[in-house]
Amino acid sequence: MVNNSTELTKPKFDERLDPVTFEVLKNGFINLVDQMAEQILRTCYSFVIYNRDFSCAMCDAEGNTIMQGTQDISVHVGTLHLTAKAVLEDFKGDIHPGDVFLVNDPYRGGTHFNDTRVLLPVFYNGQLISFMQTNGHWADMGGSTPGSFDVNAKDHFGEGVRIPPVRIYSKGEYLEDVVSLIVSNMRIPEERVGDLRAQVEAAKTGERQLIDLVEKYGLETMLVAFDEVQRYVERLAKAKVKSLPNGTWETVDYIDMDPEIGDGLIPIKVKMTITDEEILYDLNGSHPYIGCFLNSGFGASLSAAYAGTKTFFPEIPLNSGFYEVVKVELPENSVVNAPEPIAVTGFCSGAYEKIMNACFELWSTIMPERAIACSFNLEYLLIGGNDSRHGQDNYFMWYDWMAGGHGGRSDRDGVNALSPVFGVGLSVQPCEGQERLSPVLTTKHEIITDSGGPGKYRGGCGVEKGGTLTELNNTVMSYCCDRSRSVTWGIKGGLPSYPHGAWLNPGKENEEFLGAIFSNVKVKSGDSFIRPSAGGGGLGDPLERNPEAVLEDVMDEYVSVERAEKDYGVIIEEVDKNLDQFEIDYEATELSREFIRNNRKQWLEEEPKYVEQLFNKGEIDKLDVIRRYGVVMNYKTNKVLLESTKQFRDTMQKRSFAYWS
Amino acid sequence: MKQYRLAVDVGGTFTDVFLFNEQTGEISVTKTASTPSNPEQGILDGIAKAEINGEDIKVFSHGTTVGTNALIERKLPKTALITTKGFRDVTEIRRGTKRELWDAYDDVAKPYIQRRDRFEVDERIDYSGNILNGVNEQEVRELANILRRRGTESVAVCLMNAYVNGVNEAKIKEILEEELPEAYICISSEVLPEIFEHERMSTTIINAVLGPTITKYINVLESEMEGHGYKDDILVLHSGGGVMTSETVPRYAARLASSGIAAGAIASKHIAKLCGFDNAIGLDMGGTSTDISLMHDGDLRITKDWYIEYGYPIGFPSIEIITIGAGGGSLAWIDEGGSLRNGPRSAGAVPGPACYQRGGTEPTNSDANLVLGRLGTELLDGKMILDKEKADDVVDKVGQHFGYTKEESADAILQVANANMCDALRLISVRRGYDPRDFALVTMGGAGPVQGAYVAKEMGIPTVIVPPHPGVAAAMGCLLVDVRHDISKTFVRNVESVTIEELEEAFISMDTEARDLLEEEGVSEVDSTLMRYIEMRYMGQWRSLAVSVGRPIQSLEATIKSFHEEHEREFAFSDENQSIEIYGLRVTAIGTVPKPAFQTFEPIGNITDAIKQTRNVYFDGEYVETPVYDRAKIPVLSEIEGPAIVDQLDTTTVIPPAFSAKVDVYKNLIINTNN
Repeated sequence: MVNNSTELTKPKFDERLDPVTFEVLKNGFINLVDQMAEQILRTCYSFVIYNRDFSCAMCDAEGNTIMQGTQDISVHVGTLHLTAKAVLEDFKGDIHPGDVFLVNDPYRGGTHFNDTRVLLPVFYNGQLISFMQTNGHWADMGGSTPGSFDVNAKDHFGEGVRIPPVRIYSKGEYLEDVVSLIVSNMRIPEERVGDLRAQVEAAKTGERQLIDLVEKYGLETMLVAFDEVQRYVERLAKAKVKSLPNGTWETVDYIDMDPEIGDGLIPIKVKMTITDEEILYDLNGSHPYIGCFLNSGFGASLSAAYAGTKTFFPEIPLNSGFYEVVKVELPENSVVNAPEPIAVTGFCSGAYEKIMNACFELWSTIMPERAIACSFNLEYLLIGGNDSRHGQDNYFMWYDWMAGGHGGRSDRDGVNALSPVFGVGLSVQPCEGQERLSPVLTTKHEIITDSGGPGKYRGGCGVEKGGTLTELNNTVMSYCCDRSRSVTWGIKGGLPSYPHGAWLNPGKENEEFLGAIFSNVKVKSGDSFIRPSAGGGGLGDPLERNPEAVLEDVMDEYVSVERAEKDYGVIIEEVDKNLDQFEIDYEATELSREFIRNNRKQWLEEEPKYVEQLFNKGEIDKLDVIRRYGVVMNYKTNKVLLESTKQFRDTMQKRSFAYWS
Repeated sequence: MKQYRLAVDVGGTFTDVFLFNEQTGEISVTKTASTPSNPEQGILDGIAKAEINGEDIKVFSHGTTVGTNALIERKLPKTALITTKGFRDVTEIRRGTKRELWDAYDDVAKPYIQRRDRFEVDERIDYSGNILNGVNEQEVRELANILRRRGTESVAVCLMNAYVNGVNEAKIKEILEEELPEAYICISSEVLPEIFEHERMSTTIINAVLGPTITKYINVLESEMEGHGYKDDILVLHSGGGVMTSETVPRYAARLASSGIAAGAIASKHIAKLCGFDNAIGLDMGGTSTDISLMHDGDLRITKDWYIEYGYPIGFPSIEIITIGAGGGSLAWIDEGGSLRNGPRSAGAVPGPACYQRGGTEPTNSDANLVLGRLGTELLDGKMILDKEKADDVVDKVGQHFGYTKEESADAILQVANANMCDALRLISVRRGYDPRDFALVTMGGAGPVQGAYVAKEMGIPTVIVPPHPGVAAAMGCLLVDVRHDISKTFVRNVESVTIEELEEAFISMDTEARDLLEEEGVSEVDSTLMRYIEMRYMGQWRSLAVSVGRPIQSLEATIKSFHEEHEREFAFSDENQSIEIYGLRVTAIGTVPKPAFQTFEPIGNITDAIKQTRNVYFDGEYVETPVYDRAKIPVLSEIEGPAIVDQLDTTTVIPPAFSAKVDVYKNLIINTNN
């Protein structure tokens, strides 16, 4: 397809490479990095890596990323060149054939300690030409908490092993003492050595393939191609950005709280400016770093902005050329640019997805045809202790993350039960596999009725997982999540989903709401728990949703008859549920919609204390509290949070109310 | 006199009929249009066109897209799922992933059974097979009653941990069979007793939705064929590279989800072996896509990672086939970054390449080949005329961007297309530890022989085989297979703690099951072969590798040694000091079906008489006067020096300069890349 309309503005091809060689090498590089990925997947030990929390890159001799894997997890995007540059910075002039380096330092451009990167420098005739990088989420890095997620950590010293760039192979010799020093600080060290080996061997397959290409095409051509593939991505991205209007757009998203402060959402501000061929994100005005591990380091925040942008340009490959077009300003000492030794391990549940969803919201205005409301927040539960089944006493770790609902879209509902935007390629684990390995019996893994944020296009539904602890000792439970207060929001008139948070012993006498972040809660055999993942936010006014679509949702129990009325104003009568027979009362629906239309403004302005009373009297439920009244509550105490409510209502005015007729 | 072996490959567009006369050794091939709305009709049309009587057919084997189409179009019977309380959404949650990571508008397909048809019962079995909660008979009868009222035609039952203990599933099946005698019922512990609820449930559901569909199709076909005088079994090709009869179709319908696709791979394996190669890569290039398969040491590569639609895996072993969007009709285009791209978009059948004169306005690979003279202006023995001017025009549009002549531009388009195919070839060869230089390339499909020589050269593959009928070779594959079943089960043990006796005991019960299946299919004991495999991995790893073992198992040490070797070959490392875990067992049961013995030919006539014309063909930057041979007239054992073009009804073969070719006694054209 030769598109004549863009012919004149189309940049000419670099004359140093003919188009065939260029295309062949570009695709060859993609193939090379994907081959490294395939090998890791087939030989790794960490189940986290196996479920696709990893990435691979080929970098040039300056550390710039030439190509990143096509199936890489979003959260590593745009950080691999930073760790390559960190290795160069520390070892320049002292890098030799046969060396391999290890790094996981989030203060040097890494993401969090678990994301451990292996870098293998590639030489040709004695010249350093490239780095092969394989980055995988190791299941444990040591520290105070199994899985190395200590929610309460304020600095990194107790979290796990920090690895600045360090040499683990010297001129081909494996430095066992160095590796041993590192992995001895981790739980199940032999598995970590297994992961390390898988990553090193994968990097070597990349090296071999690159050397084959160099021998075939010559070094000079190859070095030109390294550069040209980056310039190509830059050209492609610039051409696309140039076709968009210049302007500035801004929004704010929130982390739930700073546990040190209490009531009050933590703002992350994102202002985007498009100037001709460049996109600039300015995060100034974001909150200072907070007293728990939901902060992010600069690498992770850059990644969020790149990934948030890439979602609207899915066809542009990822490499350093893209980072020439997308610029990001991060304020010092902020929740989005925390300095060492501030804890950042929970960035993935904290700042990361807030930046990403804020980007989605901004781009939804610029490209309404690709709009998407807020999606559920990454969450993961860790149970670690001793498995006493069969009279044994083995260490176990049950480490679980769920799928959830994605935001409503411009012409269709959000996707039900999908992995988080942090990485939609990240697999949820099979319960049968987990039950073999851990004394945790899963009692449910199901979609939650009414979890999708109401909208003309409904948010996708979230999922609930429950479990019972069978035979175990010395066991603790930790949870890393967010959006129990900064609830997953709708856009363009759509409504929020519902608050996150885990329950211990639900429905029993000792029932307890534990909230969305906690760590090292002691648990024992016989205890049970449930936790939901939120649905996506809705897009568009729910009163404009086609009643027939609501009816279909009722048949599939994505929406209950009760909420069809409360959220959509659609009155549905059940005739025979067993035969999917329901009827819409169109007349009553008109009246019901009229009622909501006339009252919803004042609902959003209702005195929060009064809403709290209604809730505690059982006259309204949790969904009414957030969707109708925009009120944020602390569900441990069932008390309203006045400051958080004010902030949340403010954004609901802009995101929802402003679009209602 | 029953003298014919008949193979039919029902594709999306064409139904290919391949007929082999056992008495004379003659082969005849026919093509008719497929009839997707009434699939058996296309087959009957093809048979009618081939002019044979049912009474004369000895074996009738076929590959079909009935299952694939039913799944993709969701033309499925009313099917319900019954599962453990709390798990009815497993098939919708899947593993939570998407294939297209970055495009928030490119969704995974909807589940085959919608939520309103997914039901739960209160029961539970734990990871070691203990029944925590038995089946409540009353609850199931009430549910059956609801299903009856809903008009349910088929039921998939998949309960948690049923792979270790299928007793609750069996109980439910028993009740359903009483309550819903008309319905088709399948349970996961019989379909695929393997760990991981989503994969097992997905396979069971696909089995349940396809069971009635395919059974009905086979029954209709059988009765139609009976009307035409053919009264024996109809063999159906499954994705594992074997056939089954209508007896076992209901139990393993999910294996027929992509019945047709295996045929080409099987044909390429056979052709390569006929030519004396044990290692071969099959390249089946059609109008819109190319299927690539690999045979090593005489066996096709098998995978368990496959699906018809992303997110809904089918857990049965399947021949590994990589399909890429590169075919004769793939479009060349320039992206916004100024790069020359090729595919995956295709001009399809309509409008087709610009030179087909059906309204195509963008350059395709076929247009580029026509510009260079590699394709002639006549196809199908002159029944189709190509418009070279149109091809020149569209190819030139690309050339202008780079300041290229139309020939340079066409050449660039094809080089990019070939490079894309090479990337796919690397996926299945180099990435799996195979060196392409040890392989032959078997080219099939209408477009394969046009570009195959260049692909081989790029990959360092020394030999290209072009079978006598590349356009219908896939259909022939249906005649070259045996009855095959794969029985597998999850069996997790450390090699240090397991004994040969335990393994043997587990295998013997699987052997019995496999034997019974073959018996149902009417395979005699002499014609049966059972093969055993153990899935193994290093302790702590997540993926396993299959290692073949003897029957009975001779030595565990030897098995462990093979595992290390296999790991070394596949991943370039192994570790003898690491402990090893057994993960699963598999028995493959083969019921040998007699194969046709292909005829050999004597050289007749003179090679020069086969030259029908010469034309200017563009190779390596210049036009070269090139002889065009009529393939039908080339005597066997002839040798041809490149450059040369070989024309035949269903394809064109390009032999570039410095390549040479010879024709073997089976009429295969064997090109040497002279690397």
